[in-house]
Amino acid sequence: MPIIEVSKLGKDFSSGRVLVRALADVSFSVEEGRFVTLVGPSGCGKATLPQSLAGVIAATSGEVRIEGERICAPMPNKISMVFQDPTLLPWKTALANVEFPLDLRGVERTARRKRCSALLELVGLNEFANHYPHELSGGMRQRVAIARGLAPDPRLILMDEPFAALDEQTRTRMGHDLLDIWEKTGKTVFFITHSLAEAIYLSDFVLVMSPRPGRIIKTIAIDFPRPRELDIIGSEAFGRIRNRIWHLISESPA
Amino acid sequence: MRAALAGYLTIAIVLLGGWELTARLDLVDADLLPSLSQVCGILWQLLHDPRFIADLGLTASEVAVAFVIAAPLAISSGFLLGERLHLAEAFNPVVHFVLAVPQSIFLPVFILAFGIGFLEKILFGITHAYFVILVNSFAAVRSIPRPLVAAARVFGATRAQIYTRIYLPAMLPLILTGLRLGMVLCIIGVLLAEMYASRRGIGRLIFTWGEGYQVPELLAGIVLVSVLTIAVNEAMRLAELHLGRFYARASAV
Amino acid sequence: MMGSRTIKALVIAATIVALWEAVVRLGLVNQIILAAPSDIALAAAKDGGLFLRAFATTIMEIGAAILIAWTLGIGLGVVVGSLPVLAAATAPVLSSIFAIPLIILYPLLMAWLGIGPLSKIVFGVLSGFFPIALNTIDGVRAIERRYLLFARSVGATRLQTYVRIVFPLALPAMLSGLRIGTGLVVIGVIVTEMLASLGGIGFLISYHRTLFNTGHVYLGMVLALAIAVTVNIGLTWLDRRIGLWRMREQAEG
Repeated sequence: MPIIEVSKLGKDFSSGRVLVRALADVSFSVEEGRFVTLVGPSGCGKATLPQSLAGVIAATSGEVRIEGERICAPMPNKISMVFQDPTLLPWKTALANVEFPLDLRGVERTARRKRCSALLELVGLNEFANHYPHELSGGMRQRVAIARGLAPDPRLILMDEPFAALDEQTRTRMGHDLLDIWEKTGKTVFFITHSLAEAIYLSDFVLVMSPRPGRIIKTIAIDFPRPRELDIIGSEAFGRIRNRIWHLISESPA
Repeated sequence: MRAALAGYLTIAIVLLGGWELTARLDLVDADLLPSLSQVCGILWQLLHDPRFIADLGLTASEVAVAFVIAAPLAISSGFLLGERLHLAEAFNPVVHFVLAVPQSIFLPVFILAFGIGFLEKILFGITHAYFVILVNSFAAVRSIPRPLVAAARVFGATRAQIYTRIYLPAMLPLILTGLRLGMVLCIIGVLLAEMYASRRGIGRLIFTWGEGYQVPELLAGIVLVSVLTIAVNEAMRLAELHLGRFYARASAV
Repeated sequence: MMGSRTIKALVIAATIVALWEAVVRLGLVNQIILAAPSDIALAAAKDGGLFLRAFATTIMEIGAAILIAWTLGIGLGVVVGSLPVLAAATAPVLSSIFAIPLIILYPLLMAWLGIGPLSKIVFGVLSGFFPIALNTIDGVRAIERRYLLFARSVGATRLQTYVRIVFPLALPAMLSGLRIGTGLVVIGVIVTEMLASLGGIGFLISYHRTLFNTGHVYLGMVLALAIAVTVNIGLTWLDRRIGLWRMREQAEG
């Protein structure tokens, strides 16, 4: 059974007297352990979809299910979010930040510490466990955020343009390391990005979204073998897929 | 802006309405809290009483004189210290000390030194206003973008031009804020001095009413002083807003 | 072993005291206006017990007022700050009320609550409440949405969100409010003691002023200043400890 099922999801916002339809009739499903990315033009509701999936906003119509269970409120045990801004708590160390979700839940200290130290090691930051966010670079902070997202051992990790604020080289490296982490943990990842190259490089499937009101135009399977090296980004096959997606996005009616 | 106005009105209606209602419904002893209408009546009478007006005028003149003396003194001192930083460093501990220490505590000494007349109140008011305006004027001078001054000099601007075209607009917002705060503190100082030891003045009147349990008159006095001080504060704030904006635009390069 | 800075400070202090004594003894300043250190010491020797008792009363009043002002100010500040409509409506009103010289309300408190410690404590709370509440409201309002979104996504309960995320984030702003407000509490209590009281340091200062016992007046002032300075030092310590967060927060950006 697919782990995520979205059927006919619609979301309307009222801004003053105007009704804005952010999402209309979005339907797709994600199998367990897959890496799925959503791309689309700016302002197509790309932010609304992950928030609906996370349960932080309620759908106007349609439904979202995780493991068959309907999502209408945040389910922190099952779904984690990583945002564009790492949003680490400035007064806590990296380790304390990773522990935070477990701390809130009352997980016992030694078990918590052990698990989170292991996670920091997984993202390559075990030497910085006792450093504060202001002592870390942007990329490092995002790694801490990823470790934090993994801490509650969720079924699904939502990543909303997590690398958008990083410079290109850091971004590329982070993508590569993210795949590493994903392969080691076997989590299901739902990733959102503006960057077509990033989407293709990282995912098993790319969902292409139309401009507002957002709907899924097409699902494209990415068949490059894993583990993927960064070289494939320059290959001809890669370029063809990229062009295909670009055409889909730029030619879809607004 | 609209939310603020709505907020004001709502809170005013709630408070004043609540006051009147509490008194009318006899929820509280009328001796402790006379009704708003009663207080307004008394206030109306007071405003027609020449002695009351004389006291009001006395207090107002004390505040005015103190402010008019303190402001230019403080602004020029602040300017001087801002331009001659070595002086500022020498005076820094003094100013710091004064600001950390509650000046009102020195009132008895003022009285020992100067008695309880017009002079003593004015001096007390001056000390309250002076330091706030000084600090703000200092900050105002320091806030002038030095590269702008250098550039102006390169372009051959005269001293007068630099002062009027660059210094003045840049300093104005902070100085106006300082003046407003100085006025508020000056009023507090003068009123305190009057309440503490004085023969005439609004402060003394209000304190006497308090000692004599004359609650309606007391409330009338409080309402009047509150309205007047809020009016002065808001007027100065408006000036801050408009003059500041005007000069900012005028000096925009 | 004392550091060289401490020795330097002590030497300066000793010199000042010696000069002070000389200035008064040589008649350069009237003995009624300025008490010599020896006069102060004499007053302490004579009425030390009385002053200590008064000191204790004042400390008790200030302590109680600080506790209540902090609780009310922070509590109300967090609640109002969390409700954007309420905050937008009340903030301008609160800052306008700030212009009213609170001292004018004391005679009302006198009439209602008498001249014992209660009226002082209430006045102290009133004095400190507004800056604390205003700054807390600002601090809470300034919290970026992303932190609240994070709190929801990570499953924090309402209480957890307030205690573990909102409160620490608003802390730097809260602290400025606490500094200003607490200073005003101290001043408020001591000044109202001076105006009308049965006991406390302010009362003794006023009492001895009327008798021209300048030595006693200055002894009282020294004790009052000691309280003010100690509170200031305590707040600075608090500020420094929590101020580290401000740096981190700005860097995290």
